[in-house]
Amino acid sequence: MIFLPRGIPVREKVNPARINLPEAMGKLRSGSFTGYLRFDSSAGTGVVIFERGKLVSALYISADESERLIAYDAIARTFEVSILGNATLNIFRLAPELAMGIHTLLHGHYLYRGQDLQLVNIEGLLRRIKDEQINGCLRVYAEEKVVLIFYDQGNALGFFHDGTDDIVNTADLSKSVARLSGAKFDLLETAYARDLVLADLMASADLGPIWQRARKLLLEDRRKREEQAIRSLEEGQELRYQHTRMLLKTIAGNHIGKFGVSQVDKAFSLVGPELRAEELANFYLELHRLAKLVAGPKKINAMLDEMKHQLSLTD
Amino acid sequence: MDLSIVHIVFWLIAGLASFSFSIGNARVWTSICVGFVLILLAEVIPAAVPLLPGLQLPQVQALGYISGTVAIMVITHGFQEYYMFSRTLEVEGEKLHVYLGVLAVLVASMIFILINPTPTSETLRTINIVENSCWVFLSVINIDTIRKIYQAVKDTPISKGFVAFMFVFGFIFLWKGAALYIQVYDLDMIAEFFPVRYAVSVYVHEFGNLLTSISIGGTFLLLARLLR
Repeated sequence: MIFLPRGIPVREKVNPARINLPEAMGKLRSGSFTGYLRFDSSAGTGVVIFERGKLVSALYISADESERLIAYDAIARTFEVSILGNATLNIFRLAPELAMGIHTLLHGHYLYRGQDLQLVNIEGLLRRIKDEQINGCLRVYAEEKVVLIFYDQGNALGFFHDGTDDIVNTADLSKSVARLSGAKFDLLETAYARDLVLADLMASADLGPIWQRARKLLLEDRRKREEQAIRSLEEGQELRYQHTRMLLKTIAGNHIGKFGVSQVDKAFSLVGPELRAEELANFYLELHRLAKLVAGPKKINAMLDEMKHQLSLTD
Repeated sequence: MDLSIVHIVFWLIAGLASFSFSIGNARVWTSICVGFVLILLAEVIPAAVPLLPGLQLPQVQALGYISGTVAIMVITHGFQEYYMFSRTLEVEGEKLHVYLGVLAVLVASMIFILINPTPTSETLRTINIVENSCWVFLSVINIDTIRKIYQAVKDTPISKGFVAFMFVFGFIFLWKGAALYIQVYDLDMIAEFFPVRYAVSVYVHEFGNLLTSISIGGTFLLLARLLR
């Protein structure tokens, strides 16, 4: 899970499978967009950061956090997850400095992670940040609310709350996340955002082929799964078909002998793998016609009655 | 010992049993049943000659012999059909076509007789030899065919009926074989030189005829019981 405060919403709760992401990102690029795109799905979360129209950062973390991808790998994986159709895309606008701050945060080094605020000496923690002149970010989160506090050389730079697009110097106590029950925090050491010079990932590679490849892989995967499902269905049908045939042959053998078994084989050619009711009705008629040549109506009717009874039990 | 009346009675019973069986059962039995009914025609006509005026006409007697030939042909065809069915489970055709087909052959035979010179006793004898030859050789073939059918259907309710048919054709072989033997060697002409041989042949012929009629009637009654 990637915990980030929501910036100024540009688009919310969009199904990314329904849009051409490279085209959409191209528009963000031409519009000099600054902010981040967040893709949430049950498989994992992807974050793509734009800074003045440049796609400067991409990160993908799987739900179980076993997979952590960056740059093009992260973009490709995010595309794949999006195309699957059960992801949600949210786009938030941020100030350029904050966008870079988010980037450094996502690539930061954890000093503390998932600590319960109530179990921690906050004053001691803040003193350590100050004393050790930590350059980083304190992230406090509870439920779905997140707040970031950026530090530069141990000095607090400001807060990033939900619904803002820049770092602010004041904290709204009424919206304090730290006061929520179960609130936790992470402390991350980060690089100097201002020193970073990030390449535009969209300038150095065309995202179109990545998107197309993801689509192709997905379609191939979907086709395979459909084929597998059809094969499983067919195998199930075939199993039921053979079981029914064996059952009918056994009954015929008991009533009119080995010759009856051959007659079932012959008459069963009228029945398809789906064992439709009308096909079975034709089978009984044909078997009756054939059996009439070697057995009397009494025996034939007893045989057909048992067949129908047994089949009704297996349905 | 004149068994003519006894023959007629038993053949009537056999013919009725056979015909009624053909009506109530599957198409594949039709040829067999119609063939056995035709024996009635072929046997009753000559046997009834002394009793019914008009039947002594050579054309009628010729038709009787031809009916006998047609009978064994139709029966053999029926058993071949049944054998095919026992191997492939395929049956085709309709009962009516069998009835009409046999009737057409008989009508054609009658026309053939009528448009040709009146058959002499020699001609009648030749026609009868042809009839008996067909019966003798086709009986052997039918016994083998029925054996194969029995092998295929031996665990079905009807299988015993085919065993009975093998006996029927065994009796037919004796009946017609004895008659053919007498005709081929003209034993009736030279009976005084071979009295035992002739007497045995005549007895085999007479009792073969009787056993055939009884066994046919009995077999169809047995079949009716097995297919009840």
